[in-house]
Amino acid sequence: MKRAVQIALAAAAVGLGFWLWTVLFPTPENAIRSRLHDLAKALSFKSGSGMVAQAFSSQKAAEFFTSDVDVEVNLTGYEPISLHGRDEVLQIAMASRSRLTALKVEFPDINITLGADKQTAKVNLTGKATVPGERDISAQEFNFKLKKVNGKWLIYQVETVRTLSSRAPLGQREASSAPIIFFTAES
Amino acid sequence: MNTMEPAAPGARFPGWLRIVLIGRKPKRTLVRALFLAAFCFVLFKFFIFKFIVLPVRIEGYSMFPTYRDWGVNFVYRLAYRHSEPQRGDVVGIRMAGPSIMLMKRIVGLPGETIAFEHGRLLVNGKEIEEPYLKHHSPAPFMDPVKLGPDQYYVIGDNRMNSDAGRIDRDRIVGKVVL
Repeated sequence: MKRAVQIALAAAAVGLGFWLWTVLFPTPENAIRSRLHDLAKALSFKSGSGMVAQAFSSQKAAEFFTSDVDVEVNLTGYEPISLHGRDEVLQIAMASRSRLTALKVEFPDINITLGADKQTAKVNLTGKATVPGERDISAQEFNFKLKKVNGKWLIYQVETVRTLSSRAPLGQREASSAPIIFFTAES
Repeated sequence: MNTMEPAAPGARFPGWLRIVLIGRKPKRTLVRALFLAAFCFVLFKFFIFKFIVLPVRIEGYSMFPTYRDWGVNFVYRLAYRHSEPQRGDVVGIRMAGPSIMLMKRIVGLPGETIAFEHGRLLVNGKEIEEPYLKHHSPAPFMDPVKLGPDQYYVIGDNRMNSDAGRIDRDRIVGKVVL
């Protein structure tokens, strides 16, 4: 019995050590994944937050991008948006906060391809945005390009991906993609 | 000699039913039941609902009235393991992954040329009947689109309010089953 307890304790210590190792020394993929989840949190905001808090979190969101970031967003039913530089990203982040009462951003699917130098990465992900209290969701596929700057992964290019390529038939009203969503969204 | 004893006055179940339902040792039965429940939970959550059938909640009107907003359905992932998707199949189409999918009907198969005229589907220049459509609309129009060897053309049943386009085979997660 004593022996069994010793073995169990040793196994728990090894498991704890492994977990600590992964937290303290994450792989590049895990580091990128963690950064993107932090970005989603920074882009999200709750209703009733003050101007200073909103400006602070917008600034925090902008810090995930390089100073010369290129953003090309082309969403169905909206004018294409082209941004260059962190300041323009910051302006858009601020503007979205003034238009919406609240927003929750998530990246439920993240596929990471590391560059050969392990200092750059391409990420294909799904962005999901919901306004708390409302049922509708917005979902869009994106390609991000990241590079490691001073030990931090920063986004230097963002572009939308059209899941359905080629043209859609004419004569339609505003298109609806009818996303279907897992009950158990994977992280 | 077989005997049958009457249930004690006030007992909720006869003795044999009690044994069938909760066993001779209820505590042991409870432990077994908990283990079984945990096993089923793990089996469904991490295997069946991940690799075989994906439970989905439908959001939007692109497949209306065949599938209604906020409805619940399943995507069978193994449907195209030994066969290819067919025209008329309703499929789940992944974005970056299967957490959020588009739900569309396949109307064009690899190598075909797809067009729409007055809401009628033309495949390689010939009109194709679409029995699954409950409402025919005079729109949409679309000039012919030639599909690649690994491409499908998908569109929602609510033709006036549905996105449409080509998708590669590897984007099809599975077939919507109900």
